[in-house]
Amino acid sequence: MILQTALLIGLVIFSVLAILLKDLIRSAISLAAASLLLGIIFFRMNAPYAGVFEISVVAGLITVLFVLTIALTRTGEEVRESRLVNWVFPLVFVAFLVIDALVMKGLLGKVPALASGAESGSFGEVLWRARTFDLVGQIAVILAGVFAVLALFRKRDKHD
Amino acid sequence: MTNTWYLYLFFAAALVFAGILGLLGKRNLIKLFIGIEVIGKGISLLLLGTGFAKANILTAQALVITYIVIEVSLVATALALIINIYRHTKSLDVRNLAKLKG
Repeated sequence: MILQTALLIGLVIFSVLAILLKDLIRSAISLAAASLLLGIIFFRMNAPYAGVFEISVVAGLITVLFVLTIALTRTGEEVRESRLVNWVFPLVFVAFLVIDALVMKGLLGKVPALASGAESGSFGEVLWRARTFDLVGQIAVILAGVFAVLALFRKRDKHD
Repeated sequence: MTNTWYLYLFFAAALVFAGILGLLGKRNLIKLFIGIEVIGKGISLLLLGTGFAKANILTAQALVITYIVIEVSLVATALALIINIYRHTKSLDVRNLAKLKG
């Protein structure tokens, strides 16, 4: 429990760093570190498949995509961020944490959650039988992403 | 079990709020997208934390994997859009987008 809490605190710290750091490469790397911590948290929650996906896809592939985009867009002028954010962000965030700690426990009692019944079978059965429709949706989403990227990088025809 | 649920929901809410603050305050397009990613991390932590607390970890895992696949698609499309915007405006400042005409 203590290790899990430490991992969660590290996750929040790295995520906040990813937003606040000025250097884009550094913020992409701290986003990857946050994903790595989230993957370890998933492993410790008995969810190895989600952990593997989180570490390999989000910490690996998405970081590579981010670094590639940052490298491709580097030569332009620097974006001037407002200085106010560096002041206001930590203050508002800490205020939210305090409110979160006070309110969340009360909210949990009121949220109408689904009745929990014990699950049976393996992860494969749940994924392939109970959530087959999700898999179809995933294939459609991947195809949509591929076509969107292709459409965005389409070259102009000679006739235009 | 309520204590672990509380722990996960507390941190998930913190992540979502940090992402929203980033979206509100930042001007660099890549930073804005990192904010969206942070919100996504909070949501997947929320899903799996609730599944863990309610002894439904397998369904929660299937949902998180679905979300990760969608996230990859989203990232690829959004980064392609950002590169195209950069080619048009030679800058990553989101305020320049408000000036575009036609």
